[in-house]
Amino acid sequence: MVIRIAAVGDVHLDKDVVGRFRPALEQLPDSADVLLLAGDLTRHGTESEARCVATEFGNLGVPVVAVLGNHDHHCDEVPAVIRTLEDAGILVLEGTNVVLDCAGVRLGIAGAKGFGGGFAGRCASEFGEPEMKAFVRTTSAIADQLGEALREMDCDVRVALTHYAPVPDTLAGEPPEIYPFLGSYLLGQAIDSAPTELALHGHAHAGTERGTTPGGVRVRNVAHPVIKQAYSVFHLHPPYAGATAGKVSAISARGSS
Amino acid sequence: MTQRGAGGGEPPDDYLEAAIQRLLTERTEIAEQGITVSRRDHSVVLCGEVESAQRREEILRLVLEHFPEVPVMVDIGLIRTQAPTEVEELR
Ligand SMILES: [Fe+2]
Ligand SMILES: [Fe+2]
Repeated sequence: MVIRIAAVGDVHLDKDVVGRFRPALEQLPDSADVLLLAGDLTRHGTESEARCVATEFGNLGVPVVAVLGNHDHHCDEVPAVIRTLEDAGILVLEGTNVVLDCAGVRLGIAGAKGFGGGFAGRCASEFGEPEMKAFVRTTSAIADQLGEALREMDCDVRVALTHYAPVPDTLAGEPPEIYPFLGSYLLGQAIDSAPTELALHGHAHAGTERGTTPGGVRVRNVAHPVIKQAYSVFHLHPPYAGATAGKVSAISARGSS
Repeated sequence: MTQRGAGGGEPPDDYLEAAIQRLLTERTEIAEQGITVSRRDHSVVLCGEVESAQRREEILRLVLEHFPEVPVMVDIGLIRTQAPTEVEELR
């Protein structure tokens, strides 16, 4: 049994891009069970750009699950952007989760935009000016929601979806000075608080594809400029050899239902 | 402070890079954060990848309009959108 996950982030859509992804997307249902969109779906967060996303990524024949990115927040039209995407059947997660049935295997996806702050030893602290404390508190509140959303799912396979990076590994290629604006270790800690199989993110356009959290969860940067193709496909193989106690109980729960 | 920027003409190099970078990001018709701006001798090189040919042209037009004195070289590609030919097996 294989769960096939397609993913891409940072497509930054507007009218000038509509149609570019569609030929590859038409083939997607043959190669994937679900498409995950890792934020920065629009150029700068207008409702009209969200309609472009709906046109390009709607009606695919597989479930589409998304988180928003910083670009999707720029025009302060987040509720309209979300409504437009959800009207097209694209589910938007923000500190929330969804469990999909993939041929009898329950795939749990928890998602949040995330935020910055930096990584262990080189990170911002909740100290000093109100603006600085607000910055760090924003990230920690989002990370808490993500962790909760991951842990509470009753599923066989867990995937975390964010826009900001949970680890510095996948930022290699970006200037080190801007790491604190690209992600936070708090997101990694949230991902490690549950038996997560895979963590997907975007945002770091000049970063690299592969990394791992301190707890051993595989991390993939699926920003479009990084993967240089319409989407990447990952095959997850549940149940895993040497599964953790959490996974074993999830499997037996499925067997008894 | 050197004399270079004092005449109100061309800004000093470090500020010029920052000014171009902010222009590309904060002008919403561009909103591009993935372009690197670097100096090479007396010209400025714009490097990176964008989602459409129109965006590449808009970037060049905007930079020329705002910094007409500065020789600009553009090395911006289009990000490919083909379907993947390989999958990654995660075991
Ligand atoms: Fe982006
Ligand atoms: Fe971003």
